[in-house]
Amino acid sequence: MNEENTEEVKVLEAQIEQLQAEVAQLQRQQQNNHKDMTFNFSGQMQEALLYLCGQSVVRTKEEVVSRLEEEVKEMEEDLKRQTQMNGINLNSCTTKTLQSGDSQLIQKFCVSGYCSELNFLVEFQLTEFKQNQRCQREISDLNVVMDATDLKSFNGFLLNVEEHNDHLLFFRTLRTFSDRCDDRSRTFQHLQDKYPSIVSLPGGCRSEIMTLNHPQLPGCVLFIHWSVDVSSEGRVTPKINLLTKIPERVLQLFPSQTVGGAAKFFQSLLRILGPEAALESVIRAICP
Amino acid sequence: MEGLSSKGVLSHLSVLAVQTKSRRNPPQQSTRVKELKAEAEALMMRREQLKAEIQTHKSLQRMRLSMDKGEEEMDEDSENSQLLQLMAKHSQLKDLLYAHHLIGGYDIIKTSLGKGVCVSVTTAYEGVYLDTYNLEIDLKPVLRITRHNVPPFIPLNELAEQNNIQTNIKAFLDVLSQHLNAHAGRKQQLKLVKERFPSVDVMESNVLCSILVLMFTVPRQKTAVLCTLNYSDHTRCLPTTVHIQCEGRTVSTDNQGPPSTVYNPRLCVMSMLSIRTLKHNKFKCPSFIY
Repeated sequence: MNEENTEEVKVLEAQIEQLQAEVAQLQRQQQNNHKDMTFNFSGQMQEALLYLCGQSVVRTKEEVVSRLEEEVKEMEEDLKRQTQMNGINLNSCTTKTLQSGDSQLIQKFCVSGYCSELNFLVEFQLTEFKQNQRCQREISDLNVVMDATDLKSFNGFLLNVEEHNDHLLFFRTLRTFSDRCDDRSRTFQHLQDKYPSIVSLPGGCRSEIMTLNHPQLPGCVLFIHWSVDVSSEGRVTPKINLLTKIPERVLQLFPSQTVGGAAKFFQSLLRILGPEAALESVIRAICP
Repeated sequence: MEGLSSKGVLSHLSVLAVQTKSRRNPPQQSTRVKELKAEAEALMMRREQLKAEIQTHKSLQRMRLSMDKGEEEMDEDSENSQLLQLMAKHSQLKDLLYAHHLIGGYDIIKTSLGKGVCVSVTTAYEGVYLDTYNLEIDLKPVLRITRHNVPPFIPLNELAEQNNIQTNIKAFLDVLSQHLNAHAGRKQQLKLVKERFPSVDVMESNVLCSILVLMFTVPRQKTAVLCTLNYSDHTRCLPTTVHIQCEGRTVSTDNQGPPSTVYNPRLCVMSMLSIRTLKHNKFKCPSFIY
């Protein structure tokens, strides 16, 4: 090989070395970007990416856009279906890739959304192991945040869910719990609309308390306490109790069981009639 | 030109001579250089591609962030902003759909004939995803489960009836999910006991995994212990009754009683499953009987 060539080769080799370093640096940067937020480029997304990066000469921009648009529309419909079926609305989901290798992929998910009126934020780590063509997925480090100012009964349950990484149980219970709360508020609202002179909802229709006042007897008040309990294992049970506020003197004048044992009788009523009818019959009894 | 003249005509001639000479045997000259040139070019392309990808990723990231916050996108003047917007939307939808799948959404899809839907029920135990079960449901004229791979010992039709599948398919799926997850959990417990404690004999178990009889020996005392776990509530993955029998003495507990640290079923199962490394203390639990 002659001198000229050797020189050219040297120059080229140096150039290649530098380029390799640059490429490696860019690849690192790209990986780091994926740690912040991971995007999944496949199908039409890949086409679009190729177009943007100037590598697709086959398709025009219009083509790329319209195909992507079509897919987005389909996905929007799909999301609507899933949301309806799941009963859970998701606002956002972001993914970070913590570790990515041949046999293992670790990603961190942060999902926020709401179910009826309950907002939640759930974080977890998803590990995918690939072993002999089988893929195993595992959730760990589950963390659930809820603005649970009035969800006292939820705390024990959340601790249990986090301890056992039982995210499926969390979402199932959240759904049932909010369904039961919706039942309550629907009933409260309905009764207040029907008997506005007797029923009042001091904490709004989503609270646990409904009060019943007799228009001519301001001293006597009946309280309905309707709570929805959640056990640590995720059992949801509504509890409805009748509490009375009747002046001592009235009780002395009318020592009948109907007044004194109201709470007990209400429970039998509840068992026989169910919540809505039981509440209505109590209201009817007060009705002037 | 300066350099050329200072070096002189002769040297220039010699350079030309070399060039002509080298032109005479092109293969030897060019192969290496060609290779290197091609490599350099490929690398340059890769670099430009990466740069473009990183740029796109950054723009997408910015758009996604404001999209997730529910902010309206400021209209950028870039010629590709419409495409980028679409891509951000696409990625958001993709992530949301995946999230629905991960959190145990029912992955509903319309069947090809359009008559019904397919739904999936995911099961998991302690964070580990287990089997997924599928149901094909006709929607018209009445809701009807046409095909499914739910095991026969799960009373599918009863559950459908009890939970008014016609009016409230969600409630039905929730209860079904509860049953399937409880079963998957019990099955997994049995698998873990077998895997982690080879010295424990599984004397009896059934497909529903609602009864589990284990036999093991307390290390130092050398006493055989028979432990019966009864899961009479099929919607739970924890036993309702634990029955421990050893050398004629019997201790029973059920989950309804006050939780005691020793006989609480959850603790009993958990301690068996979690004490993996402490081989000698493995079956500390039964020794409380004495």
